[in-house]
Amino acid sequence: MTHTIKLEASNRPEVMERILRVVRHRGFSLEEVLMKQCHTTNSTQITLTVSGERPISNLENQLNKLYDVAQLERAQTGASAVAMNA
Amino acid sequence: MTGAELVLKVLQQHGIQHIFGYPGGAIMPIYDALYDSDVEHFLCRHEQGAAFSAIGYARSTGKVGVCMATSGPGATNLVTGLADAMMDSIPVVAITGQVFSGLIGTDAFQEMDVLGMSLSITKQSFLVQSLDELADILHQAFEVAQSGRPGPVLVDIPKDIQIGAVDFEPYPIAQKQYPLLETNAIAKARDLIGSAQKPLFYIGGGVGMADAIEEMQDLLNATQIPAISTLKALGTVPADYPYNLGLVGMHGNQAANHAVQECDLLICTGARFDDRVTGKLDSFAPNAKIIHLDIDPAEIHKLRQADVSILADFKQLLPELAVTPSISTWQQHAADLKTQYAWRYDFPGETIYAPKLLNLLSQRLPFDHAVSCDVGQHQMWVAQHMLFSSPRNHLSSGGAGTMGFGLPAAIGVQVARPDCTSVVVSGDGSFMMNVQELGTIKRFKLPVKIVLLDNQRLGMVKQWQELFFEERYSETNLSDNPDFVTLAKAFDIPALSINQADQIEDGIDQLINSKGPFLLHVQIDEKENVWPLVPPGKANNDMLEGEL
Ligand SMILES: Cc1ncc(C[n+]2csc(CCOP(=O)(O)OP(=O)(O)O)c2C)c(N)n1
Repeated sequence: MTHTIKLEASNRPEVMERILRVVRHRGFSLEEVLMKQCHTTNSTQITLTVSGERPISNLENQLNKLYDVAQLERAQTGASAVAMNA
Repeated sequence: MTGAELVLKVLQQHGIQHIFGYPGGAIMPIYDALYDSDVEHFLCRHEQGAAFSAIGYARSTGKVGVCMATSGPGATNLVTGLADAMMDSIPVVAITGQVFSGLIGTDAFQEMDVLGMSLSITKQSFLVQSLDELADILHQAFEVAQSGRPGPVLVDIPKDIQIGAVDFEPYPIAQKQYPLLETNAIAKARDLIGSAQKPLFYIGGGVGMADAIEEMQDLLNATQIPAISTLKALGTVPADYPYNLGLVGMHGNQAANHAVQECDLLICTGARFDDRVTGKLDSFAPNAKIIHLDIDPAEIHKLRQADVSILADFKQLLPELAVTPSISTWQQHAADLKTQYAWRYDFPGETIYAPKLLNLLSQRLPFDHAVSCDVGQHQMWVAQHMLFSSPRNHLSSGGAGTMGFGLPAAIGVQVARPDCTSVVVSGDGSFMMNVQELGTIKRFKLPVKIVLLDNQRLGMVKQWQELFFEERYSETNLSDNPDFVTLAKAFDIPALSINQADQIEDGIDQLINSKGPFLLHVQIDEKENVWPLVPPGKANNDMLEGEL
């Protein structure tokens, strides 16, 4: 099952690594990713499409508790990150 | 002032008086600033020792523990300690020196990607990029370490930032903010508790971490609901609570393990359905509805679906749940289980039965004491047979199960609580993993009491080989151990070796009455195993028992 998650995170240099590590470690694989630094708000916008058999809410909870993640929302299941941002 | 001086100023602002560490090239400016500072530094003999001492300091007080190391190998030596703190949710701040910013990424001497290494073993980590952000990052480190579910935070500081000039500005320390109580969920939880026939509290380390022991005890008093405890919760439920069924899980008390299988409502309070607790997850508390109380949203529904979940600070939440169900049959059953499965100490032999020794030691220790243990059979005997008046007095590496934890943790306890009798119970395998910290005890004349249970084996692994690997004892024989009494003496630590049951009293007396540190070397039979045991993959009521 694939899921797309949108995140707003801090723009520290390691933020992508931090997020992708959690995705992998919690049992999901990355299908697509879109990332953009926003210098005016000092934040990073990230859209991830991941696939995995475990409940996606578990991954969302783990991502949401990262100190660097300010906001997280689930876009619809099945859609792709690139399509969502097109 | 310099960045290095600022680091120490911020530590003091957060009330830090003691830190544990080990110097080296990339952190020399901070050590130089330390030379004139009021912060007291405890030189450990290995960075892993420093990390565990910081953990001991934190666990025994509820305050943040701080450790420091240099770049590269200094930082890698902290890794195991930070991972341990992560698994057990311990507030620790680690400060590491890093090579000059301009050299990062050039494979400079002792340059390692410490931030990269830290990602999976800390709650949060920072590589300071500029002097401007140094103070802010340090304050964030303390806030993150303590807020919500606590955990370790690492701050990696390049050398140029340590020597650069910066202004110190006082920083308002943020007040703790709690999530609002969810009244709907609380009402549902109260209903479930009120109507349950066989409710059971499953209490975890979260209660102690939230500093809500009193609130938990009040709740038990009000509800009179039976309770089981995880390793990290031991000491939360008063020993004389009539329905205290003790430790649950792989080496738990049979009373706890039977009760959890029979209950119809499990109130998980700051625990996390760890596999060492649940055994086969599908068959854990098979007929129970679940109320899950926690501060960390990621724990809810992670392993077991909850019927009602409440995210809250326990100090506020627990008083709201005081409902008194009518459960006299269940209470009677719990009390009967407790009596039926009470630990027995009528061991017939003339050799030393470790559970009996630990139980006696527990009774003899002064009121203000804390026991740090290592990992293995002795760790389980400590959990089973010693009594604790608070989880702050029982330090055990739970989530990570890290051998080598005990001795440095006990050093941290002794520094944090100078009047406390800080005891280590270790095994002959674990003890050797951070044995160099005897040097720290010697240097600071710390009166740490060491009980070394020597079975000349990596006992817990040997037990599994006996039970599950056809007695093929691969690499678990330690019968060529050093002479531990001589070893202790090399560090000016008086020591006594005992091997007969009738020497126990004298051994314990000498240990407790010694003014300074003491090592009691206890030779025990390698055949003694830890019982009961829920074999891996089995349900909790499927326990193996040994014979006395
Ligand atoms: C750092 C580390 N390495 C390996 C293990 C695996 N392990 C768990 S218990 C144990 C044996 C411990 O032996 P000892 O300290 O003598 O205690 P005993 O079980 O004999 O009481 C081992 C090797 C571990 N938990 N931690």
